[in-house]
Amino acid sequence: MRRIKLKGPLAILVALALIGIALAQPTPAGTSISNQASARYVDSAGQPRTTTSNQVVTVVQQVYSLTITPNGSSEALPGQTRSALPGATVYFAYTVSNTGNGTDTIALTTPQGTADNFNLTGVTVYRDDNCNGALDAGETAVSSLTLSHQGTPSSSACVVVAATIPAGTPAGQYANLNLVGTSSGGPSDSDNWARANVTAAAALTANKSASPSGPVTPGTTITYTIFGQNTGGSAASGVSVPGLSGSGILIRDIIPAGLEVNSLPTGSAGAGTVQIVYSADGTNWAPLTASNLPLVGNGSVAVGMFISGSGAFFPQGASYTFSFQARVPLSAPAGTAYTNAATVRFNDGTQQQVVTTNGTTNPVAASPNVAVGPYGYPTGGATGSYTAGSYTVGRSGDTQSITSAYSGSVVIFRHTLRNTGNAADSFTLSHSGAPSGWVCQFLADDLTTPLSGPVGPVSAGGDYSFALRCAIPAGYTATTAQTITVTATSQAGPTQSDSTTNLVQAVVSGYAVDLARLGSGGDGDPSNDNPPSASANPGTQVNFPIEVVNTGNNPDSFNLSATLPSGWSALFYPDANCDGVMDTPTPSPITNTGVINPGGANRRCYIAVVQIPGGTAPGANPISLRVDSATDTDPGTPGIQPASSDTVSTTVNVNLVVGLALDPDRSGTVTSPGTITYTHNLTNTGNANATVSIPAVTSAYGWTYELSTDGSTWSASLSGISVPAGGSVPLYVRVQVPGGQPIGRSETATLTANATYPSGTASDTATVTTTIVGGELNLTKSAVSYAGATTTVRHPSGAQAYPGDQIVYTVVASNIGTGSLTNVRVSDPLPAHTTFVSASATASGFGSGAQVLYSTNGTTWSTTPPTSLPTGGILYVGVDTDGNGTIDGGDVMPAGASITLSLRVQVQ
Amino acid sequence: MRLYLLALALALLGSALAQREVRLDLKAFRVVSIDQGGRVVERLEPALEVRPGQLIEYQLSAQNTTDKPLRQVALVIPVPKEAVFQGAFPLEGARLEFSYDGGRTYGQPPLKRKVRMVEGGREVEKEVEVKPEEYTHARWTLPELGAQQTVFLRLRAVVR
Repeated sequence: MRRIKLKGPLAILVALALIGIALAQPTPAGTSISNQASARYVDSAGQPRTTTSNQVVTVVQQVYSLTITPNGSSEALPGQTRSALPGATVYFAYTVSNTGNGTDTIALTTPQGTADNFNLTGVTVYRDDNCNGALDAGETAVSSLTLSHQGTPSSSACVVVAATIPAGTPAGQYANLNLVGTSSGGPSDSDNWARANVTAAAALTANKSASPSGPVTPGTTITYTIFGQNTGGSAASGVSVPGLSGSGILIRDIIPAGLEVNSLPTGSAGAGTVQIVYSADGTNWAPLTASNLPLVGNGSVAVGMFISGSGAFFPQGASYTFSFQARVPLSAPAGTAYTNAATVRFNDGTQQQVVTTNGTTNPVAASPNVAVGPYGYPTGGATGSYTAGSYTVGRSGDTQSITSAYSGSVVIFRHTLRNTGNAADSFTLSHSGAPSGWVCQFLADDLTTPLSGPVGPVSAGGDYSFALRCAIPAGYTATTAQTITVTATSQAGPTQSDSTTNLVQAVVSGYAVDLARLGSGGDGDPSNDNPPSASANPGTQVNFPIEVVNTGNNPDSFNLSATLPSGWSALFYPDANCDGVMDTPTPSPITNTGVINPGGANRRCYIAVVQIPGGTAPGANPISLRVDSATDTDPGTPGIQPASSDTVSTTVNVNLVVGLALDPDRSGTVTSPGTITYTHNLTNTGNANATVSIPAVTSAYGWTYELSTDGSTWSASLSGISVPAGGSVPLYVRVQVPGGQPIGRSETATLTANATYPSGTASDTATVTTTIVGGELNLTKSAVSYAGATTTVRHPSGAQAYPGDQIVYTVVASNIGTGSLTNVRVSDPLPAHTTFVSASATASGFGSGAQVLYSTNGTTWSTTPPTSLPTGGILYVGVDTDGNGTIDGGDVMPAGASITLSLRVQVQ
Repeated sequence: MRLYLLALALALLGSALAQREVRLDLKAFRVVSIDQGGRVVERLEPALEVRPGQLIEYQLSAQNTTDKPLRQVALVIPVPKEAVFQGAFPLEGARLEFSYDGGRTYGQPPLKRKVRMVEGGREVEKEVEVKPEEYTHARWTLPELGAQQTVFLRLRAVVR
């Protein structure tokens, strides 16, 4: 295993504020981070491929973190100050937030200060359910808060710390108090000092509530109410405000940036004259009328209430209320926090005082929503088309469609979804309606990377494009529209989802093939596909150059076959150069084409070699050649064209072959007078029935030649002998020699057989050579053929034998004279087309001591028969009577003696 | 006997994997920096568990299991959505590119994104640089991966 060495350190090193990331929006504890790598490559066959790795999963652990506001870093720098009479209760308002990534329980304690004048009594922490900074009926005391992780609505809570200034505490003294929060996971927040002043002067409290008090969704109207009371020891006086006449108490609220005030605020006060005012810059004020509306918060614009009066006009116990409504803009992104606090300016009798209310915070809640639609048109209203994979996808409204797809192919629908919510969100993709057998998968917009799990996060208003890829099974066809619905569901709000429709209007077979004669494939013209007919002799081959073109849509392989007459065979040989001529060396025959890509350029050529069995009757033989898709098991859906198989037809015309064999040539000896019968075979080597005639043979010496096919009915000539194609009949020739013929006369007669076929003729000749002998030694030869090496007789006279059959020839030489004969040698040649099997000989009528000798050359003699005989060889047999080991003039064959020679051969 | 069964199981596993021409094995590690006598060294621990702000290193080994070279091998490690891309190690001979659009397009840094904005009352299209924190995928493209050759890729991301 070779490894490639790494080069250098991280090339792309990004200096990220790691803590910043952790605090911004920490991934919730328990989240599984899964990741999967993928690869795309071109394999050795040039095919693009993809693969994916294992999936690794990492689980996010909990981190603990909290904040409490407002901060007051030390006793000397309290974050909030309250003034009240001795014996009165002051209320400090805080917000406690869990900034960790998991639910946490935060314990709250209230240590008293040491750098102050006295300790507060009755210190109690209340949960301020409506976050108005005041203790309301029903709000309960707490010692801890359980808050969910950051980014969720219940991740923070308001509390009010109530503390009482002991009665009798002198004015001018103060006490400090801290609110300390401690996370169950360890961290704490302890810089939240507050101070209570003891005063006998006027002291206005200022509280603020927001309704709703918690998270708001875009479009919500928040009602802010600022209220308070003079809880001091004297009546309060007003202050002068730029732009407003007279003096008064000013309640000012800078509109949170982004919020919109559309209606006039309202207000009331226990004393003085109430006037609703506004300021564009927060400093200079003017009366607010409807014509000034709307007012949109920008950090400076403020609304207010001016309670005017002269002197110390706002008595002890008098209260005020100021209320206005502000609308959250529809575009408000989730997580935006509308934080607000109002101030109240008055004169406590000696100096101007500014009291700040508790702050209210209204985070914008996530309002998840999603739209999914055709590619580029997440909200529908789509038009136009695009190409994905092999198809054009049309868009219309919220629907995409492919007019027609091929079975065995892949359709790809691209989609775009839009996060129509106001917060980053992830979305679960699903599809439904795909026909059974279809395999559908979501892919990233690169159309390669498979998508597993939800996609995103997608920023608010952001788009995300993806694709649905469906593989249509090979055998699936349909004439009606197939509908696949794609649905995107918000993860933040699982009830929020949107769907879009994909249609495949029709599915036609993606498998088609054209088989044609060489040069005519894939032209769409079936009329020129059939190969031209061919003529050939039996026992030969006919070559049909053909070609196969994959006219379907998908790569496919095809089986090759042929329909032929019984006994015929066909083989298909690749013709690599498509020249219609068998390649050299001859390739191996095939039965399947292997994968052929669609298109005429990828045609494959073959030579179909049709073998005609020997002896096939003449005439026209229709044959057909066929290719059949190895993939598409659907043999042919009615109405679905083109088909995934193709057949071409042609005709093999088997020629009429004529041929006649009259064998073998015979010879024999005969006494005068005498009769000898020869046996021949008349064989029809043609492929049609023949009618054979044999004319009479004329002897120059007056001998009589008679012919017979059955050995019993004899005539001078024969005609009308019916010999079937490939068959044979025996032909007997009987020669009758009259008396008085000289010894040694010999006559060779030629027999001519003429065969007549339905068309054409054939003929052959054979000779019979007859020699007159002296009337002493008579030779007869007979033959019996056997089926193979068995003892089953094929033909009793050896007229019929098949290759592999054995024939036993028996030659009997008898001294039929009255005197002895000397130097008698009986010979028998090994017939043509036969192989020597064995030989034996017996002698009878010889004196004792006579020895049968064998020879294969007539010179060298042996007492044992030869074990082989060459082609054309001759076997000689004689009887040694003088004991000299050879056959010569000293060897005597007495009258009446006979020698029998038996030769067994096998037909080749 | 147990050993034999194990061997058999491994053999079966091997044959199952061998059917894939490219074998991808992805591992996740937590990168822990430790101080060793004033020298800060990194240690990789299996990242079964992480906390927000911690660094994960993904290591991908890709092996050509065939006896023939493969061409145009593009290997992709995505940045999980719960993490922020921090860096990727280059590989000699490979082109390293990044995607900010979920793997749809890849390019070499700096990546540019087209943004429509209103400037001087006119809507104009501007190219703005995509920050590495926005990368969603890293891709290494090798012209060829030799027979039986293995390459080793690394990507780092910070848990959000």
